[in-house]
Amino acid sequence: MFLSRIVLRDLDSIDSPVSMASSKKVVTRDEWERKLRDVKIRKEDMNRLVMNFLVTEGFVDVAEKFRIESGTQPEIDLATITDRMEVKKAVQSGNVQEAIEKINDLNPTILDTNPQLYFHLQQQKLIELIRAGKISEALEFAQEELAPRGEENQTFLEEIEKTVALLVFEDIKNCPYGELLDVSQRLKTASEVNAAILTSQSHEKDPKLPSLLKMLLWTQNQLDEKAAYPRINDLTTAELQDPSI
Amino acid sequence: MVANHESEAASAAAPGAGATVDPMRLASRWRSPAEWEFAAAELDAEPLPSELNTVNSSGLFAVVSTDKLSVKYLGSHLHGHDVGVVQADRPAPTRRAVYYFEMGVKNAGYKGQTSIGFTSGSFKMRRQPGWESNSCGYHGDDGYLYRGQGKGEPFGPKFTSGDTIGAGINYLSQEFFFTKNGSLVGAFPKDIKGPLYPTVAVHSQGEELTVNFGKEPFCFDIEGYILEEKMRQQSMTDKLKLEENISHVIVRSYLLHYGYQDTLNSFDMANATDPPGSRQNGHREPPEMYGLSHRKLLRQLIMSGDIDSTFKRLEEWYPQVIKDEKSVICFLLHSQRFIEYIRAEQLEDAVTYARAKLASFLTHKAFEGLLKESVALLAYEKPAESCIGYLLDCPQREFVADAVNAAVLSTNPAMKDPESCLYSCLERLLRQLTVCSFERRAFNNDQGDAFLLHKEVRNCERSHRS
Repeated sequence: MFLSRIVLRDLDSIDSPVSMASSKKVVTRDEWERKLRDVKIRKEDMNRLVMNFLVTEGFVDVAEKFRIESGTQPEIDLATITDRMEVKKAVQSGNVQEAIEKINDLNPTILDTNPQLYFHLQQQKLIELIRAGKISEALEFAQEELAPRGEENQTFLEEIEKTVALLVFEDIKNCPYGELLDVSQRLKTASEVNAAILTSQSHEKDPKLPSLLKMLLWTQNQLDEKAAYPRINDLTTAELQDPSI
Repeated sequence: MVANHESEAASAAAPGAGATVDPMRLASRWRSPAEWEFAAAELDAEPLPSELNTVNSSGLFAVVSTDKLSVKYLGSHLHGHDVGVVQADRPAPTRRAVYYFEMGVKNAGYKGQTSIGFTSGSFKMRRQPGWESNSCGYHGDDGYLYRGQGKGEPFGPKFTSGDTIGAGINYLSQEFFFTKNGSLVGAFPKDIKGPLYPTVAVHSQGEELTVNFGKEPFCFDIEGYILEEKMRQQSMTDKLKLEENISHVIVRSYLLHYGYQDTLNSFDMANATDPPGSRQNGHREPPEMYGLSHRKLLRQLIMSGDIDSTFKRLEEWYPQVIKDEKSVICFLLHSQRFIEYIRAEQLEDAVTYARAKLASFLTHKAFEGLLKESVALLAYEKPAESCIGYLLDCPQREFVADAVNAAVLSTNPAMKDPESCLYSCLERLLRQLTVCSFERRAFNNDQGDAFLLHKEVRNCERSHRS
């Protein structure tokens, strides 16, 4: 039974043009490697890709070192990264007021043109007040600053309600909205701030490299439908896997 | 003989674990900026429609003006076979995300039966686009869309004198689309294969059209449309999940591979203290650790133009790399030494050096391009301002530094894959992406744009400036 199946398959591949046509095109490793070798990639472009990553992710010292070692000019003034990272750090460590002031120093239009960002910063400020146990200050801030914003916008209102609910629980860690007190909430707000500053500097908010990696995965998936070819399955080693036929 | 010579050079440069690393492959990557531009243009090159076809048009019923960009109805419009239809001189190009052109209705004439669309090469030149199979058209008198059947379907507004109508092919979404006065009217699936010609038609007395194949700015914001389409495409790929920190790992291995040690140390320090846990999660140390501090110093020496010291250090640390005077590495270093003499305006030293060290490479075909251009530097009073001034720029030094780096990596006895000396992980991924993307386009009848890193990086910088 096993044997006959093998024989049949062999026959198939020998003289059935129909099955040949319907099966995927197979590209051997040799052929593929030749194609890979023919690709011309400029070193400067790869350097720029790496620089773009360092700059966008805010690695200012690293970017400076890379500029010296590779001669690659960063796409924006490195000093602006320092400012951006300071704002980000302020949010990450819970100093929201400091962050707001720094953003306004950097570019006063950022908060004016981003009501959602401004709201999230104020919400974060309220969260920090509650975390610090400054109840009366928190109440005052919520009523004077946040409540009017909730009247403008339904989503804001819901967010305010969730945040204020934290006040009602003595054991805030176990309150249903306790996740607002997580570090992840600070990181979320911080990355929103980061993106807004980058956008204000006419810079993409995300580095190019991850999207190219995704493009590679996507393109390989798409090509799988048409051909069997050596794939890269592990991006960290970039080793070619022989096509399974 | 030449082939023999080459293999000698390769084996001499890579005595390592008996593996064959051919830094010549790096040298074959060497291109002057002019060659780069040419190669890029060649990849993108496709003849574009630029004017109306005056030969294959229904000359009986329409006349194309001498600028070949406008058409006027001549006939008396008796029945459905006296359409004045004109195709562009060439089919719409396919190797791009979107193709688009526009027409202006100068005069809607007696019945306002102007139309715009795409038709195949075998289209019957006396019919409206969309009336015959393998064609589609948007018609002015009823605003209907015709897609190869006699009957049209409601599509958009009618159009008349003074309107600008556009037709496009979106290769990413495989759709046709039409615009009116700068706004999108609608899109529908592209079910026609093969070359498609931009086509316009007039069909009653007095009707007059002009076409714009991109020589003039378009009424419709086509750049914005393409950007949006690409974002849509990207949002599809963005859904894919990447292993956490994968970009960090790849950037780190890039720094390691090329021996950017200061950057690497700084990167590791930043990642050790930064809150969003961007640490290495158990990835084993890549083999590129080999000779890291040596490689860093060699790079620094070359980048500062100190080739004499580079030779000395190599002699001390990796003598096998420069043992063969005829090797690729020796050639690259000698030619760089020569260039550094020119930079320092020591022309006589440059000549003496070239006679002693470079002349013997002249018979070697693989070195020809670089050697000829380097020697030509002597001819200019101000070489930095000449057309070969790029040889004095930083990337040329870096090119040599990268070759030396690869040669040093190849002496690693633990090296398994000789390819890994030449290409960083990042480069291998980018090569794979490029090939996959071009292969995919080939399967797709050559439709759509393919990935080219240079284009990608340039786009990104352009958007910073705008």
